Amino acid sequence: MANTEAALKEATTLIDGALGAALVDYTSGMALGTVGGGKDLDLTVAAAGNTDVVRAKVRTMEMLGIQDEIEDILITLGTQYHLIRLLRSRGANGLFLYLALDKNRANLAMARLQLRRIEADLEI
Amino acid sequence: MTAETEVLTELRRLRARVPQLTGALAASADGLVLAQDTVDEGAEGIAALTAAALGVALRLTDATGRGGFRELLVRGEHGYVATYAAGGSAVLTLLAESRVNVGRLHLEARRSSARIGELVENALVPDESQPEKEVRPSWPTPKLPSRKPPH
Repeated sequence: MANTEAALKEATTLIDGALGAALVDYTSGMALGTVGGGKDLDLTVAAAGNTDVVRAKVRTMEMLGIQDEIEDILITLGTQYHLIRLLRSRGANGLFLYLALDKNRANLAMARLQLRRIEADLEI
Repeated sequence: MTAETEVLTELRRLRARVPQLTGALAASADGLVLAQDTVDEGAEGIAALTAAALGVALRLTDATGRGGFRELLVRGEHGYVATYAAGGSAVLTLLAESRVNVGRLHLEARRSSARIGELVENALVPDESQPEKEVRPSWPTPKLPSRKPPH
C-alpha cells in the first residue's frame, strides 16, 4: 500500500516517458497531490481542466443510459499521451489519477498496466 | 469604455467561462459595489458583508504571518462564496453552485481579479499621467479605500 505522494512518485519514475502525474478530486477540481510537471505542464491547470473532461464523460454516459463505469480515458496529442484513470477502491470515490506521457518515449500498453497496478496499491 | 463598463465586461466574461457561477460582483475594499452581474441576493448587501469578512480575513492572515490577503473561500450546503483580492483597493466576490469545479474557479477568478485590479487602479490614476504599462498586481493591505461611487 502506498500513500498519494509515493504512488505519484512511482508513476513518474517507473513509467517510461512520464512528464507529470496528479491525483485529482473531480468533485472539486482540486489536486490532492502532484509530481512532475513544470512550466510546460501546469498540473493545477491540468487537474481543473481534466475534471471537466471526466464530468462531461460521466454526464454523457448518464444521458446515453449506459449503466457502467469509466475505467480510464486516453487523450492522444501530437507529442503526448494523457491518461486519466478513475479510482474505484473503497473510500476513493470521485478521484482520478492523471498521467502525462511523452509519446516518443512511452509505451502506452505498459503505462496503462502500470497505472492500473499503482491505482490498486494506492491507499487514500 | 469607462472602467466600470470594462469591469462589468470582465465579470460577464468570467461567468461565461465558469457557467456554475450564479453571481459576480466587484466591490471596493470598504464595501461599495463597483460593478455586478446578476447577483440575485442583493449586490449592496453582499458587498458590505464582503468588506466585513475581508476585515476579519486581513487580521487573520496578518496575525498568522501569512502576508497580504489573497482570497477567501466559504462553502455552504448549497454552494460557495469566494472573494479574491483585485489589486490593492478592490475585491472580486463570486457566488457559485455547489457542483462548481473549484480548481477552475480559482484559476479563472485569479486571472480576472488581476485584470479587475488593473482596471480599478488605472481608473484611480489621473488621466494624463496614466502609463501604458503592464501592471503586475501587488497584494498590499487594502488600506486606501477608493471612494469612487458608481454612477
